[in-house]
Amino acid sequence: MEERPCAVLLKFPGTNCDAETAHALETVGFVTETVPISALKPETLVGVSLVVLSGGFSYGDYVMAGKLAKLVTEQRIGDTLKEFRDNGGYLLGICNGFQILTQLDLLPEGSLVENSSGRFQCQWVTLENKAPDSPFLSQLPETFEFPIAHAEGRLVTAEPGEAAGYLESGAAALTYTEDVNGSFEQIAGLQDETGRVFGLMPHPERFLRRGDHYDPDWGGDETWGSGYYLFRSLYESVTSSDENE
Amino acid sequence: MSEPTTVLDEIAEAPADHYRVLKISDLDGDKLLELSQFMKLSLSKEDMLAVQEIYKEWDREPTDVELEVIAQTWSEHCKHRIFGATIEHELEGEKETVTSLFKTYIYDVSKRIFDTKPGFVLSAFHDNAGFIKLDDELAVCLKAETHNHPSAIEPYAGANTGLGGVIRDILGAGKGAKPIGSLDVFCFGAPDTSMDNIKADDVIHPLGVMRGVVRGVRDYGNRMGIPTVSGAIQFDDSYIYNPLVYCGTAGVIPIKDIDKKVGPGMRVIAVGGRTGRDGLHGATFSSAALDTESHEEDQQAVQIGNPIEEKKAADFVLAARDKGLIEFITDCGAGGFSSACGEMLEECGGTINLDNAPLKEPGLVSWEIFISESQERMVLAVKDDSILELQKLADLYETEMTDLGSADGTGILKVTHHGETVCKLDCSKLHDAPIRQMKSKWELRTEPVEAPILESPGETLKEILSDFAIVSREPIIREYDHEVQGNTVLKPLAGATGDAPQDGAVLRISGSEHLMSMSLSLLPEWGKTDPYAMGAACVDECVRQLVACGSDPDKLAILDNFCMGNPDDERELGALVETVKAIAAGAEAYGAPFVSGKDSFYNYFETDEGPVSIPVTILISGMGIVEKPEHVTGSSLRKDDSVLCVIGSTKSELGGSVFARRKGLTNATVPETEFEGAMATYRKYYEAVKEGLILSAHDVSEGGLAVTLAEAAFSGKAGLDIDLCSLPMDHDASKAAILFGESPSRLVIEVAPENLEKVADLFEGLPFACIGAATPDHGNLRVEWGKETLIDEPIDELKSLWKNGLAQYY
Repeated sequence: MEERPCAVLLKFPGTNCDAETAHALETVGFVTETVPISALKPETLVGVSLVVLSGGFSYGDYVMAGKLAKLVTEQRIGDTLKEFRDNGGYLLGICNGFQILTQLDLLPEGSLVENSSGRFQCQWVTLENKAPDSPFLSQLPETFEFPIAHAEGRLVTAEPGEAAGYLESGAAALTYTEDVNGSFEQIAGLQDETGRVFGLMPHPERFLRRGDHYDPDWGGDETWGSGYYLFRSLYESVTSSDENE
Repeated sequence: MSEPTTVLDEIAEAPADHYRVLKISDLDGDKLLELSQFMKLSLSKEDMLAVQEIYKEWDREPTDVELEVIAQTWSEHCKHRIFGATIEHELEGEKETVTSLFKTYIYDVSKRIFDTKPGFVLSAFHDNAGFIKLDDELAVCLKAETHNHPSAIEPYAGANTGLGGVIRDILGAGKGAKPIGSLDVFCFGAPDTSMDNIKADDVIHPLGVMRGVVRGVRDYGNRMGIPTVSGAIQFDDSYIYNPLVYCGTAGVIPIKDIDKKVGPGMRVIAVGGRTGRDGLHGATFSSAALDTESHEEDQQAVQIGNPIEEKKAADFVLAARDKGLIEFITDCGAGGFSSACGEMLEECGGTINLDNAPLKEPGLVSWEIFISESQERMVLAVKDDSILELQKLADLYETEMTDLGSADGTGILKVTHHGETVCKLDCSKLHDAPIRQMKSKWELRTEPVEAPILESPGETLKEILSDFAIVSREPIIREYDHEVQGNTVLKPLAGATGDAPQDGAVLRISGSEHLMSMSLSLLPEWGKTDPYAMGAACVDECVRQLVACGSDPDKLAILDNFCMGNPDDERELGALVETVKAIAAGAEAYGAPFVSGKDSFYNYFETDEGPVSIPVTILISGMGIVEKPEHVTGSSLRKDDSVLCVIGSTKSELGGSVFARRKGLTNATVPETEFEGAMATYRKYYEAVKEGLILSAHDVSEGGLAVTLAEAAFSGKAGLDIDLCSLPMDHDASKAAILFGESPSRLVIEVAPENLEKVADLFEGLPFACIGAATPDHGNLRVEWGKETLIDEPIDELKSLWKNGLAQYY
């Protein structure tokens, strides 16, 4: 019998995109378990292929977004997430989850700070797939749309040159096709060196189906939205690396 | 010892640390009123005399806790005493007696509709929100509230806790419904109001109110992860002193979890935030008028919300409900524990021990703990043997859970503190608040008004598209996460460019084939001249928008949320009575029952130049069932070769319109709504939707037909060639009325050319006409009258005016 890969979604107080993200993962074939942070133990990740940090406002994000979530995660499970990655595990951070992965040093150095508009921005954006080999993006075309909804999505690096370096190295897996929030090099998503850790500000889980698009005459797929293909790429990467083990 | 200085000190028996017995039996009416005012009870002299009478019967004196509980129970906010009053009403000299507006026009009307649609409305009026059936397993609900007074004094916090409060209503509806979408409706002074026009100290400028309110809604809704999908703003000078902030939330629940009951032996537990001195007297404060002193004195009635506290409580409640651990639940809203426990133990009775309540700070006296409206608290009744499992869930979601007491079957609400009984009330005796006797009067002051000659309809259209009543709310909508939960199918901004306005919002419901629609309407400008016409048109517009976006016209439910100024003013109350009659007639004709409602009075302000009241303002919001995803219909033009048709008649009525206001036509006749004809067209429209014949549909409302056409074209798909010669209309309708009049019950629909004949056949015998076509040949809105060109303007330019109207102020 085919065994479906297991994804764990970590839920902090204030995480609020876990249900729809779990739904998206299940739609493409994952089994999911949502684990409130108070119940997280190192053993939770045994037998798990993917850890997802979904969107929301962990602890309200009243101090820097993702900061408290990082501290609590480290307090509860120390370096387990890094070990999980080193052992071949996949990590996905969406929106607040991206902010938390960045805080946890699981992604190339950078900070997600207040949008240059000074506002929360809920809108659809066009993205450029800069890493077609990424396990998260392999089934997505060169450009596609996702919605964003964030106040702190502007990726900045200590030295502006670093961000340009991310474009060259391929760490900047996803970019906006125009300046949306002031991100250096218009970076929308980052991957680590292994390719198995990926964080992005846009919300793929909100564009799972065709009908999620704002335009009823959207020219894409008959059934699925672009977000489906991100999760589907991930599913296939996870299942093929499970087979190789 | 110092001499007694206040009425309270005079009558208090031997002072206890945490509560006092007050000797009221010998006080006369004036002294009783003084006591009410001193304690901020907001009870009238008649009310206080009635209280005195009750205690004479019981042969004892009340405690301060009991007086506070009675004040909460009898407050306008909780008891809706004006909607229950006996009103001597006079219309154009004809007199009648209305015994209870609520019973006559809301409850009885809805009850009749329930009977014609068995099984559709599953709960109404008695719970925190009314439920309608979505499918065999699930039900949906909607609730709207106002938070006007707090938002006037502290816009950010007022709106923040306004939304937080209505979300808790949903969490406390049935055994806990899941909040799935919110709406927000604001009435403000114009953003460009001059400071010289603000005639009182300490009043916050409308721009400050708007920014604070929007951010307050944003920070609560976004953090809770509930999409804010629907809304409206009205700007008018009459709202400078009394801004209105309506917040609404929709929810979904398994049908089996709607009914709830408290039984003897159950534990009463509190979950969520702690109790503090913040939010004292919110319920009674909101039942009184504002003045400059309010801005200084009533700060403690307004609080700062903590959405994460509420999010944790919400996660706990929904998990506990799914495990079957909740027997009864309600939220702590106005009146705090006293209202929540009072409601819960109303029939069963029980004991609440205030020593158990977790406090934010030490030293609170009994009444403060019992009536504090500290945010983010829910009260549950649960079985004794569920406590352990509930505690585990509370730990898991990191929310505080406390055992407050128990239900006991005595019918008596007993409250203990420091080992003493501080309150012992038979709640069944408290529901007979004195019925108010009121007077109201209304007469129309319309006069025949000559429609002005339209010099340049194109320029007038530009002027109207730039009016605050019409401009895009985009800068505000984008600050709200309207797509969290991933179910917002019809978004507030959509169309090919993702920024064109829509008539309503449609949400997919996880676990169901059906979808839920939401929409709303308010037309305060109409009500200034003709409140009856306003009420009728609001029901019509809300129903029409729900139908336009694909809802089944026979599966709609609506909510009435009233705001008005001074109910003791006969003409103001007269306007209210007329509005209520109209919405009742509309609801009955459309078979769209009321399932919930709320009212807010005393929205007037004592300025340096006398009192300023808001106009009677009714918000009709509604929900509907969309049977299939394919039925969801947006308001934006989709093709460049389609034809456009109008359903409904255009009358020569300009009153209440944006055009009339801009041209200074104050007393022009406001349009009447003919419900029966309208419902026939809506049913036909729905048939066309089901047959897949409708590409898009946009309702004709504020701004009139010209604005509707422009808005439909804002998707940027095509230019429009329109000829209005064949429009169904009054023979004497002026060009102004045709282009900018706001006759209700009209829709502009977009149809593929090959389907035109089918659609025309469907509307046979009803007001219907094909008025033009979309074209790829140019990008203009071209409106002709036979050979005469009325409007020929580039859609891009029109859109930029519309899109930037508010952006420059926000």
